[in-house]
Amino acid sequence: MSLQSALEKLASYRTNNTRDSREVFRQGVVVLKSGRTSNLGDDGWAFLEQLTLASIDVGRLDVTDQCLKQLGERFPDSPRVDVLNGIRMEATESPSTVLNYYDELMNMDPSNAAVWKRRVSVLRRIGRIEKAVEELNEFLDTFYTDAEGWLELADVYASCNQYNSALQALAHVLLLTPQNPFAFLQYAETAYTAGDVPLALKMFLVVIDMNDREDEDTIPLGISVRAWWGIKLCSRQLIVSTPSYTSLSNTAVPKNIKLIDELATERVLTAYSGEQGVQTRSLVSTWMSGR
Amino acid sequence: MSANAVSLYLDPQIRDWVLFPITLVMILVGFLRHYVVVLLQSAPKKLPRAAIREQRALARAQILRATAAHSPIPPQTYTSISNYLSEAFATGAYLKDGPPKGDGPSAAPNPMTDPAAMDGMMAGMKTQMVMMVPQMIIMGWINFFFQGFVLIKLPFPLTLGFKSMLQRGIETPDMDVRWVSSLSWYFLNFFGLNGLYRLVLGNDNLADSSQSMTASPFAGGATAAGPQDYVKLFKAERDNLEFSEGLYNWAGKDVEDRVLRKYGKLAPAY
Repeated sequence: MSLQSALEKLASYRTNNTRDSREVFRQGVVVLKSGRTSNLGDDGWAFLEQLTLASIDVGRLDVTDQCLKQLGERFPDSPRVDVLNGIRMEATESPSTVLNYYDELMNMDPSNAAVWKRRVSVLRRIGRIEKAVEELNEFLDTFYTDAEGWLELADVYASCNQYNSALQALAHVLLLTPQNPFAFLQYAETAYTAGDVPLALKMFLVVIDMNDREDEDTIPLGISVRAWWGIKLCSRQLIVSTPSYTSLSNTAVPKNIKLIDELATERVLTAYSGEQGVQTRSLVSTWMSGR
Repeated sequence: MSANAVSLYLDPQIRDWVLFPITLVMILVGFLRHYVVVLLQSAPKKLPRAAIREQRALARAQILRATAAHSPIPPQTYTSISNYLSEAFATGAYLKDGPPKGDGPSAAPNPMTDPAAMDGMMAGMKTQMVMMVPQMIIMGWINFFFQGFVLIKLPFPLTLGFKSMLQRGIETPDMDVRWVSSLSWYFLNFFGLNGLYRLVLGNDNLADSSQSMTASPFAGGATAAGPQDYVKLFKAERDNLEFSEGLYNWAGKDVEDRVLRKYGKLAPAY
């Protein structure tokens, strides 16, 4: 493995935000061994940070300590390095020690978002969900634009079966990333789990509507397969019990629900029409016909 | 040179001892200023948490409003968020110093009394000083030693309109416009060296003073985001929120028809 190609690969991982820790570690050690990190310029420090996180992931803490030493010497007071140190401590120290460390950092700089988020994640990990939710809410009240934070909050709520609260959190994610169909899909699925089937149906339909690349002649792929399944599930329930369905969000059941149901059946079956879907197709058809 | 023009001969010593030194000094001062400003710049001051919260509260409402006409969230959620924000703005829940006390008219924050704003202004002033002082000294130096010097002849003809630009400091009505005076050479350098600085110091260099000259230290970048009356801003944002509520339209409102049409199950609407 040449140094140049390793560096290029690592740089592309950084820009694409890929967390392939094994690979990063394998390539990163090559670079680190060559001892050339100091004359890489500014990229060198980003590389060290990347390698630090990857080596913690794969459990090679000796490499982590090497990286942290270099980073600490170069940036003695950097909050970013402090956070890395904290993550390193999380790997070996007890949660209370780490929490104390984070508390100390937060006292020094109450507006350090990265430390705050780490603190929440530690709190959640040790099972103090209530405290984690409280902190996360406070964090999001200050740093509203952190979509990751809202997703985490929704996830915490969902793990406690608080689906309506999770929906509220996801609504903020939708506001922040209105172009992301995956956020809509998650919202739809959460709404379905919360029992708000008409709302879920609408949101699944939005996911389909956002997908410009597919129309009646193409085979649904990826996210739309899931969305079509969702539509099918919702419409099937709604057809059976239309009048009795009350939605918490007062979403009306669409009047041409039968058409939607037909369309969804057709699309789901199309999704399984390809070569890979041949075996499962009969299963799907059986499910479709039995209601 | 045309035969009837009065020829002017420049002593090569003028080139060696005036033209080059002026240019060189101006370039070097530009570099020096870049590094001095870099040294003078204090690290951006960290805002306390409450201040960040106050500053970003407006962004929340703006994000909500940005998609109002095609909002991703269902009506009930939208109104609840909108009402919550409007309520919070009305009671001042997001204000850094807590809700306003009493009913006295809130005085506009005076930048002279707010130490945080004062710091920002001082930083701006310092940068300004580093920009201004060397330029004043160079200009004084040129005016004192080389007043009325003709330094260089441009290799192309120009119209009379350029006379005031190129022959500042020399009051002769009939000299060819192509001759450039020392003071004009200074100004040409002053406005024209930015390209060179950019080449050497990179795009975000601080050497060019012609741009910062136009900015006053009180309205400069350092203080542009400075003291703002959030009480008033919040009040304005409440109106905007109300307005957006009228614009509000859920993206999922007719989505089933859109999807059905896309897949040919419904006749297209014309």
